Amino acid sequence: MLSLLKQHVAQNGSDVAAAAAADAGSSPIFWFIVLGYFAVVLGFGSYFAKFNKSTSDFFFGGRRFSWWLITMSIVATGVGSHSFLKYSGKSFEHGFSGSMAYMNDWFFMPLFIFGWLPIIYYMKVRSIPEYFERRFNAKVRALATGVLLMYMLGYVGIGLLTMAKTLGPILGDTWSLMEIIWIVAVVAGVYITFGGQTAVIFTDLLQGFILLFAGILLFVLGLNWFGGFDAFWNTLPAEFKLPLSNFNDDPGFNFVGIFWQDAVAGSIGFLFMNQGLVMRFLACRSVDHGRKAAAFNILFALPISAIAVSCAGWIGYGMMTQDPTLVAPDTDPDEVFVIVTRILTTKAGFGFFVAAVTAALMSTVDTLINAISAVFLNDVYQPINKMRGVEHNDKHHLKVAMIASAAATVVGVGAAWAFSLFDNLYEAHGFFHSTFTPPLVACIFMGIFWRRFNTNGAIATFLAGTVMIILGRMLPYELIEPIAHGVPTTDPETGEALTTPFKYIGALYNLLACFGSGIIVTLLTSRDNKNLEGLTMFSLTAARKMFKGSAPNDAIGFPQTVTYKLDATLPEGAIRMDSEAMQHLAAEQGDLAYICDKRKWLGGLRSAHGHFDGMHDLGETVLLSQDVYDNGHFLAGKLLVVEKEF
Amino acid sequence: MDEFPNFDRAWLPYIYLYGVGGIFFLGGMFLIFKSKACNWARVSHRRWAKVLIFGYCWYATLHGVQIYAALNI
Repeated sequence: MLSLLKQHVAQNGSDVAAAAAADAGSSPIFWFIVLGYFAVVLGFGSYFAKFNKSTSDFFFGGRRFSWWLITMSIVATGVGSHSFLKYSGKSFEHGFSGSMAYMNDWFFMPLFIFGWLPIIYYMKVRSIPEYFERRFNAKVRALATGVLLMYMLGYVGIGLLTMAKTLGPILGDTWSLMEIIWIVAVVAGVYITFGGQTAVIFTDLLQGFILLFAGILLFVLGLNWFGGFDAFWNTLPAEFKLPLSNFNDDPGFNFVGIFWQDAVAGSIGFLFMNQGLVMRFLACRSVDHGRKAAAFNILFALPISAIAVSCAGWIGYGMMTQDPTLVAPDTDPDEVFVIVTRILTTKAGFGFFVAAVTAALMSTVDTLINAISAVFLNDVYQPINKMRGVEHNDKHHLKVAMIASAAATVVGVGAAWAFSLFDNLYEAHGFFHSTFTPPLVACIFMGIFWRRFNTNGAIATFLAGTVMIILGRMLPYELIEPIAHGVPTTDPETGEALTTPFKYIGALYNLLACFGSGIIVTLLTSRDNKNLEGLTMFSLTAARKMFKGSAPNDAIGFPQTVTYKLDATLPEGAIRMDSEAMQHLAAEQGDLAYICDKRKWLGGLRSAHGHFDGMHDLGETVLLSQDVYDNGHFLAGKLLVVEKEF
Repeated sequence: MDEFPNFDRAWLPYIYLYGVGGIFFLGGMFLIFKSKACNWARVSHRRWAKVLIFGYCWYATLHGVQIYAALNI
């Protein structure tokens, strides 16, 4: 294989990636692995469909899952469809700093862990636009809904198109771009439409493991190719090994710009404005588990993900220094992942890596589709029906949610088709994203942490912020250059002026424009006459109380392992235990309870929430009301663990 | 990537990252205590406050060690 690749490099230059991929695509084993992967994913959807009995199940998985399950699913969601190609390419060009965006997300964790997360959880905020109405008014909600829906639908289209472009060279001329897009969309659409959030979480769990395993395996194979870590390390120049890029020398890739774009704007956007991620945290069994999921993800999963998605670039660079006939110095960075993977693996192994890249796409798209469905139902369908005076039950809403998921998939395919025809549409989405997300981010941020921030300020953040951002694009030298930290505006090689200067550092200007507009208008206008209890981080005690319905009980108790019985006479949401168990739990009448199958590896799949209601004298048994029993999906003969929440 | 990186190239981004990033981080810590969102009297909140500080130190150490290794090992 190596000699074949070398021959291709000599003859065709950068076409080697397509040749290598097409070679693998001709193997039946390759197709067995890829199709097998699709079959497993579809199986997940049909299996988890039975766990969807309400919209709470469909969108939030019944708020039942353990932190580790959510962590792994977030890993899969965070590693986008283009991550392997993009970060391998960046790392091939810029070294270890190519993946620095994966390792700078901690700075806003205090505000997330003790601010945004408890607010959305305890206030049962089902979507970001809903928070805007509660915090400000219906107009701000409508504004946010429109922006979020357009952004997410466009993003589904881009994800599908990226995937098709990745798979294109592998499939050769037999499949067109749109055929590939339809196949991936149908597979993703089916399991999301029927399986909802539970299917998304479990599919993403599987996909998260595949992604990380594939990436780390590639790294190990690469190290083996060099003859060990020392040999690999010594091959690389010192600058290549630095984890942070040049401060401001390179206008195309500089530290200071990436800091403001990614570590600040990107981190806030990811943690605070990502509807899919918000829903994932709401699927946690408690705020504490949400905190654990977020912390573990950023502390450990992201550094591992950085290695997984970037290592092909490092290995490729090392190979290039050792044998330029194998990986040519002028290799297109976007092709490094495919070239390195094909060099290091067999055809079957390559199939596995294609499955991993597909997994990266599916796990991003499934989260977005579920999120779009939630925003449509919660912020479009229900408010319109409310205005018309029409009321529907939850069963009807569940149907609407499923139809919305299917429709979002189809619209996403339409967007992918449009993006494939017009390059300027792709650019338009990028423009839309960079223009409208900073105002949203600024609004949420100030809404949570600044009580004085008012509705006028929020509208100004949206409108004036957007106008200022557009002005910044039109007058970059006048508006952005003064705060650009000396980032050059000319191409370092040709000396010509860049057509789009301040590519990254522009984020600092955008943030200043939005925060500045919001702050100035808020200070110049009167306070909102509105009850903000539970909606800012200054009233979280009230939020907990509202969530529970009475004063929280924080006395420390111990979980109890018990058998269970159904008692259909108990009121809705009630469970009943004996006095000794209540004492061990430090629980009182009305306290919230979490009841879970004893097998921890299920991650809370078979669990439910309830509240303590009276006591019995049946010993180590918990009596469950009909709805708790139904929601828990408990299996006969299995032991349960009961915990007091607060 | 031929020249050996000087101090500005190697350490300036690190100082900026944990200096300016540190201001955001400390600002966040100040806000969560001021607002009483993080209540030191509660055991779990104390634990989480320590995790937050650990996270900052963890990444600062990780990046510091990486830079040191790139320059010296």
